[in-house]
Amino acid sequence: MNPVTALLALLILAAPVAYVAPGYIGRRGPFRVTLLALTGAWLLWLEAERGGVLTLEQEGIAFVSDGLTVIMGALVLLLGTFIVLYSGVCMAGERGTRGYYALLLALMAFIIAMTYAADLFNLWLWFEGMAIAAYALVAFYRNDRTSLEAAVKYFVQSAAGSTLILAGIALVLMEAGSITLADVRLVEGSSALRLAGALFVIGFGVKAALVPLHTWLPDAHAQAPSGISAALSGVVIGAGLVALMRMLSALGDAAAAFGTLLIAFAMLNIVVGNVLALRQTQVKRLLAYSSVAHIGYIALGLGVGISTGENLALSGGMLHLLAHGLMKGLAFLAVGALLYVLVAGHGGHPALQLDDLSGAARRYPLVSLALVVALLGLGGLPPTVGFMSKWQVFVGSMAAQDTVITLMVIVAGFGSIISLAYYMPIVNRLYRQHTSTLIEGGARMPLAVTVPLVVLALLVVGLGLLPGLVDGLVNPAGNALAAAFGLP
Amino acid sequence: MASILIATALGCLWLGAAGLLVVQSERTVHRAATGITALAAILTLALLPLSTSEPVTWLHLGDAFGPLTFVPDGMGAALSALAAVIGCLTVAFSNDYMAWKPQLRRYYALMLLFIGAMIGLVLTDSLLMLFLFWELTAFCSYALIAFDCDDPKAVAGGVRALVVTQIGGMGLLLGALAVYGYTGSYSINGLISAPDALTEGVLALLAFGMLAAAAAKSAQVPFHTWLPGAMEAPSPVSALIHAATMVNAGVYLLARLYPAFESVPGWTDAVIVVGLLSILVAGLLAVSATDLKRALAYSTISQLGFMVYAVGVGDLLASQFHLMSHAVFKALLFLAAGAVIHSLGTRDMREMGGVGHVMPFTRNVFLVGALGLAGLPIFNGFWSKELILESGVHGPSWAYLLALLGVGMTALYTMRMVRMVFFGPARQADVHRAGLMMRVTTGLLAVGTLLTGFLIEPFSRLLHDTLPLYGIHVHATGDMISDVLGAPGAYVALLVVAIGGALWFLPPRLSAWLRHVEPRRLLTNDLGFAWINRATIGGLTGASDALGRTQTGLVNWNVVAIVAALLVVLIWSAGGLS
Repeated sequence: MNPVTALLALLILAAPVAYVAPGYIGRRGPFRVTLLALTGAWLLWLEAERGGVLTLEQEGIAFVSDGLTVIMGALVLLLGTFIVLYSGVCMAGERGTRGYYALLLALMAFIIAMTYAADLFNLWLWFEGMAIAAYALVAFYRNDRTSLEAAVKYFVQSAAGSTLILAGIALVLMEAGSITLADVRLVEGSSALRLAGALFVIGFGVKAALVPLHTWLPDAHAQAPSGISAALSGVVIGAGLVALMRMLSALGDAAAAFGTLLIAFAMLNIVVGNVLALRQTQVKRLLAYSSVAHIGYIALGLGVGISTGENLALSGGMLHLLAHGLMKGLAFLAVGALLYVLVAGHGGHPALQLDDLSGAARRYPLVSLALVVALLGLGGLPPTVGFMSKWQVFVGSMAAQDTVITLMVIVAGFGSIISLAYYMPIVNRLYRQHTSTLIEGGARMPLAVTVPLVVLALLVVGLGLLPGLVDGLVNPAGNALAAAFGLP
Repeated sequence: MASILIATALGCLWLGAAGLLVVQSERTVHRAATGITALAAILTLALLPLSTSEPVTWLHLGDAFGPLTFVPDGMGAALSALAAVIGCLTVAFSNDYMAWKPQLRRYYALMLLFIGAMIGLVLTDSLLMLFLFWELTAFCSYALIAFDCDDPKAVAGGVRALVVTQIGGMGLLLGALAVYGYTGSYSINGLISAPDALTEGVLALLAFGMLAAAAAKSAQVPFHTWLPGAMEAPSPVSALIHAATMVNAGVYLLARLYPAFESVPGWTDAVIVVGLLSILVAGLLAVSATDLKRALAYSTISQLGFMVYAVGVGDLLASQFHLMSHAVFKALLFLAAGAVIHSLGTRDMREMGGVGHVMPFTRNVFLVGALGLAGLPIFNGFWSKELILESGVHGPSWAYLLALLGVGMTALYTMRMVRMVFFGPARQADVHRAGLMMRVTTGLLAVGTLLTGFLIEPFSRLLHDTLPLYGIHVHATGDMISDVLGAPGAYVALLVVAIGGALWFLPPRLSAWLRHVEPRRLLTNDLGFAWINRATIGGLTGASDALGRTQTGLVNWNVVAIVAALLVVLIWSAGGLS
C-alpha cells in the first residue's frame, strides 16, 4: 500500500477505534488512540513527501499529489497535533469525548483526502465528509440550545451550497463528458462551464464564508468547543477556498475570469469582516469575524493570482492560508485554555466576554503572551508570520502592476489597520492590574496546556522572522495552482 | 567588523528583552536593563568610525522577501548611536521614575525591543525591513503609551497613535510594494541610485506616499493628532520615543530618499508646506496648552516641522543636525519635566509654579534645555536652527518668513513654560527633590545640549564620506561659527527670539489681551482636527452597528443572501465574465 492511502486509511480507521476505545483502555483511551494515529500519520506523511509526485487510481477513486496537497497536509497535521494535545487536558472533563476525537480524526482525514482528489465528484464527496464531521462537532455541547442552533444553521446553509456544487458538477459532466480534472481542462470554455464556475463559487463560497454567504460562521465558530473552533477557522474554511480553486482550475479558459470575482468577494470579506468585528464583546465571536476578514486576504492573493497570472500572489495567498491557520488556531486554543481554567469548575459553557479577560496576564502570563502573539499576528504586526504573509499577498498583488488592484491593496491595508482597533484593546485588557472576578477565581493552568501554546506561539514568531523556512511548502503550492490554471 | 557590532547590539537588546521577562528580582531588572542599553550604546558608538556605504548582507529571508541587508553609513550609524545613547539614558532615568511601579519587566522589555527596532530601522537597506521596523517601533510606541492598561485614556491614546501612524504608514507600505512590484528589488540604495527605473507616475506615487508616511510618523499636520494623546505614556517613554527617536523616523525617511524624489514635480514644495504648517499650527497649540507634557509634545511637532522644512529646501545636513540637537535637548526637557511631574503628581502647569525653589537642579537643567529649544547661542539648538534658516534664505521667501515667525513662537511658548513651572509663587506644598539617577541623566543631557552644536565638523564629514549621492559638504566648526555669526539672518532670528520671549514678560494688560483673543474653543479642539478624529471613529462604529443589524441570526434571511449572491453571480457570468 502506498503511504498516502495508508495515511488516509490509518486516520479513517482510527476514528471508530477511538469511538469504541474507552470500554477497553479507560476514559483517556480516545485521546491516546488519536495521538497514536497522529504520530503514525506524521510518519506516513513524511514518507509520502519523500516519494515525490503520486498518481493513483483504485476502484474509481483517483488521487493526484501536487504542491497544494503538501501544504494542506502539513497544515492539517500540524494544527491537528496542537488541537489534540490541547484537548487532551481541556476536554478531559467533558462528556462524549470519544465522539469528539473520532470526528476530529475523520475531519482531518477528509480534508487531506479532498486535496488529493483527481476528479470533481470525489473532491465533492470528501469535502462533504469533512463538512458532516464539522456539523456534528459544532453541536458537541448537545444540551446547549445555542450550540444546536449554530449547528443547524451551519448545516442548512452549507447543504444549500453543496446542492449548488453538485449541480455545477452535473453541468461539467454534461458539457465535457468527464469529471476528471485533467480531462475537463482540455475542453474549451463555454457558457455552460462558466455557469458551472458560478455555481462552484457560490457553493464553496458558503463553506469558505465569503461575504454575504458567511452568516453561519460567527455562530458556528463561537459555539463549538475551542479546539474545534481552531480547526474550523484555521483549516476548514481555508479548505473551502482550496477546493474552490481545484474545481475552478478545471474550467480551462473560463477559469481566469473568476479571479476577478474572487477579488470582489475578497474586498467584501475584508471590509465587512473587520467592521463587524469592531463592536463584538464576546471573545470567540470577535475571532470568528476576524476569520471572515482573513479569508478575504487569502482570496485576494488567489484571485489576483489567477486573474493576472502573478505567481507571487498565488503563493502569497497560500502563505496567508498557512499563517492564518497557525495564528487563528493559536488564538482559539489560548482562549479555550483560559475558558478551561476559568469556568471548568463552574459547569456549563458560558461565552467568554472581553471583560472577563481583564488582568489575565497576572495569573496566566505565558498563555496570555501566546494570545497576544496570535493577536499581533492577526493584526499583521511584526515580528509575526501574519506580517510577512499579508506582505506577500500585497506585494504579489502589486507586482500585477494594475491600478484597480493597487486600489484593492489600499482597501485591504486599511482593513488591516481597522483590525488593530479591536485586537489591541484585548491586549490591554490582558495586562490590566485589576483582575476580573472570573480570573480571580480561576484554577491553575496545567503545564500540558501551556507548553503546546508556547510552542505554537514560537512558531508564529519564528516564521515571522524567517518566512523563507516555509518557501518549500508555499512556492510549490503556488506553482501547482499556476500550473492547474495554465498560467505562464 | 561593522556587521558583528550591529549583530551584537541587536542581539543583546532583543535577547535581553526576552531575558528580562523571566528575571525575578525587581532590582536586577532595573540594573540589567540599564546595563544592556549601556552595552548597546557603546557598540553603536563604536560603529561610528567604521561607517561605510558598503552593505552587509546576513541572510536570505525568503523568495518574496529578499535579503536582510544593513548599510552602516553615516546617517544610519549616527542615528542608531543617538537611539542607543538616549535609550540608555532614559532607561537609567527609569530606575528612579519607575521604581516600585508594577509590571516593570514588560516595561523594560518593550523599551529594549524599541531601541533595537529603532537601530534596525535606520540601518537597514531593505524597504521591507524598513517597513517591518517601522511597524515594530509603532507597536512598541503603542504598547508603552498604553502601558497603564487600567487607564482608558492611556489605552485610547496608544491605539490612536498606532492607528494614525499606520494610516500614514500605508504610504510607505505602498511605496515599498511598488518598488518591488516594478523593479523586483527592495534595495533602498538601488532606488536612490537609479530612480528612473520607475515610471514618473509610480515615482510620484512613491514620493507622496512616503511623505504621508513620514508626516504620520513625525506627527506632522494633518497627522499630528496622535502625539498629544501619546503623552499618557510614562515620561521616559515620551522622552525616548515621542521626542528623541521614533518621531524622527519620518524626517529620516524623507532625508534618506531625498535624492530619488528631488526631481518629482511639486514634491519639495509639498514637503515645505507640510513642515511650515506643522511649525505654525503646533506652535500656536503649544502657546495655549496647559498640560506640561502636551506643551512639550506640540513643541516637538513644531521642531520636527523645522527638520521637514529643511529637507524641503534641500539641506539634508541641517535637517539631520537639528534632528540630533533636538533629540538631545528635547529628551532633556521631557526627562526634567518627568522629574517635576513625578515629584508633584500633576501635569497641569496651572497647578505648578515656584518649583525651582525646591528643585534647583532640575530647574537649571530644564533651563538649559529650554534655551536650546528657543535657539539661543551657544546651545546646540541655536546652531542647527541657524543652519536651517541659512538654507531657507535660498528657498521660497514666503516660506522663510513663516519659518522665522515659527522661531519667534518657539521662544514665546518656551518662556511661558519655564515661567509657569519654575518661577512665580509656589502652588504645591509637597514637593521632593529628583532622585540621583534622574539628576545624573538630565545633567549629562544638559552637557550634551551645551556641546553637541560643535560636533558639526565630524558629523558633516561622516555624512560626506559615506553618502556620496546626497551632495553633503563638510562644514568646519570654525566656518560654521563665523558663517552663522556673520550672516545678517542670524541677528534677525535672534531679534525674533527676543521679541517672542519678551512677549511673555510684557505688562499684564497685554498678556491678558493675548489670552482674550486666543480662540480658546478652537484650540482646545486642536484646531478642528480632534473633530475629524471623532467623526472617523463615530462613522466606523456606526457602520459596525449598522452592519451588525444585517446579522439577523435567522436562517431564512441567511439563505436569501445566498440566493441573492447566486443571482448576481449568475447574471455576471451570463454577461461574459467581464
